[in-house]
Amino acid sequence: MNRKKDIPILAGLTLVLLAAMLLSAKIGVVDIGWAELRGSAVFWQLRLPRVVLSVLVGSALAICGATYQSVFRNPLTDPYVLGISSGASLGAAIAIILGLHSYLWGVGGMALMAGLLTMLLIYKIASIGNRMHTTTLLLTGTCFTFLAGAVISFLMVLNQDKMESIVFWTMGSLGSASWNDVGILAPVVLLGTLCVLFYSKDLNLLLAGSETAKSLGVEVEKVKRILLFATTMMVAFAVSSCGVIGFVGLIVPHAVRLLTGPDNRRVIPYSIVAGGLLLLLCDTLARTLMQPAELPVGALTAIIGAPVFIILLYKNKKQF
Amino acid sequence: MIKLSNLHYSYGDKEILKGLDLEIAKGRFCAVMGANGCGKSTLLKCIAGLNTAKGGRISLDGKDLAAYSTRELAQQLSLVQQQSHTDMEFSAFEIVLMGRNPYQKRLQNESEQDWKIVEECMKMTNTWGLRFSKPHEMSGGELQRVMIARALAQKTPVMLLDEPTSNLDIAHQMEIMQLLCDINANERKTILIVVHDMNLAYHYCQELLLLKSGKALYYGPMEEGLTPERIKEVFGVEAEIYQKNIFFRK
Repeated sequence: MNRKKDIPILAGLTLVLLAAMLLSAKIGVVDIGWAELRGSAVFWQLRLPRVVLSVLVGSALAICGATYQSVFRNPLTDPYVLGISSGASLGAAIAIILGLHSYLWGVGGMALMAGLLTMLLIYKIASIGNRMHTTTLLLTGTCFTFLAGAVISFLMVLNQDKMESIVFWTMGSLGSASWNDVGILAPVVLLGTLCVLFYSKDLNLLLAGSETAKSLGVEVEKVKRILLFATTMMVAFAVSSCGVIGFVGLIVPHAVRLLTGPDNRRVIPYSIVAGGLLLLLCDTLARTLMQPAELPVGALTAIIGAPVFIILLYKNKKQF
Repeated sequence: MIKLSNLHYSYGDKEILKGLDLEIAKGRFCAVMGANGCGKSTLLKCIAGLNTAKGGRISLDGKDLAAYSTRELAQQLSLVQQQSHTDMEFSAFEIVLMGRNPYQKRLQNESEQDWKIVEECMKMTNTWGLRFSKPHEMSGGELQRVMIARALAQKTPVMLLDEPTSNLDIAHQMEIMQLLCDINANERKTILIVVHDMNLAYHYCQELLLLKSGKALYYGPMEEGLTPERIKEVFGVEAEIYQKNIFFRK
């Protein structure tokens, strides 16, 4: 319950994360020695932006998962399961075909609009009174994922010259990461994170139900709107930079809660660090496990995440 | 003082409250009774600011309810609902601490005073021993006492309770009602409670608000209000009152 102790622990974990980033950027098809690091273009222009991007995306997805789980009062939700990631990826794909990627926020902006639209539809379809129906929520999300995947494959066949492989959009890849991507994503993640941190106490109260939260002084509708916008924005820009990477937002908050308990004022900060660490680890494995071939990073997160999802589904069976 | 004038509320086309006029003075302990669907819970939610009235007005201490911010209202009114959420992982202590939210700044930590108030409220409701327990580890009666402790921690002059005793056995029902009686007497809080059990209300509450199809049929002292005639009119059952107990005839 004492959150003062968290500060040195979080600082320590951040140091671990930074060390892991450095180490990860050093290894790969070509191992770079400590002495050569400063002059290595592979290190500075290929590996480092990729490593930084993986941490940004991992943190963003973890925060969004934790937020969705509290707002929807449902332990099974994350951007991927809800179909928000897929909706956003469809928006990003359309933006690329329309040639919007020459504008700085073009792809992300379009992904954001598609993500918000998906969020709105899911909210409308799955809410009964002020509670979300779990089965409907999950089915709607799954359905959106299929739909977005199908439309993207159509678009790709029609625009083969402009699009990367379908694997990029459905399994995610950090392979094309550049400092440019980092520059676009970093401010979005920073802004979104600050927003969620600012409202993290309200998130706790939302867990007690909308009506209770309101009777305890939370401006429920306003807070929900702000939080869903901030998180969908993070998801949309993350997806625009590296495609759909699933389950990070599901696994991380649950793992964190085992250690911190349910208080979002602790869950969110720990999820930031843990999410970054998890995706960094997965991406490092994705590019080193079968070198020189590269695994889709989303396949790795799914291998860890899908069983976790099934375990949670089993544990929550009584509630449906 | 809570004042309702010509209060209307409807869910879609269905009109629930059809012009309610009422003045509840400070410090009263009032039972809200009536048949299912007559608008008891709807009324409570309107007063709590969860439902926005479709017509008429509600004022609290002379100030229109709509003029209060959510936060200000949470310092005036606390609410205990029928169903408490048992799927939360927060401990009883943390749940009661949530009652202090209307007094805290957003990024502020809980103060010494908050902790002291929570301890006091939990001791008053006899839940201090449960402070580390989670909702799913508690019985219905224990959880309801924790919810009352949270409402107490809000330090509001008015407490609204929507069937806090349903799903409890008779011993726990009486325990909750006695607790509310003490709170009413010692803290001088105005308490509005929706109850189904007539005997329970008859024994513990000073006042009665009897609703019939969206209107107030009676508001006043309990003993004068709950008569066999009115019971027949509202619930359609034959009743007899004998030595301060209500008996029903088949």
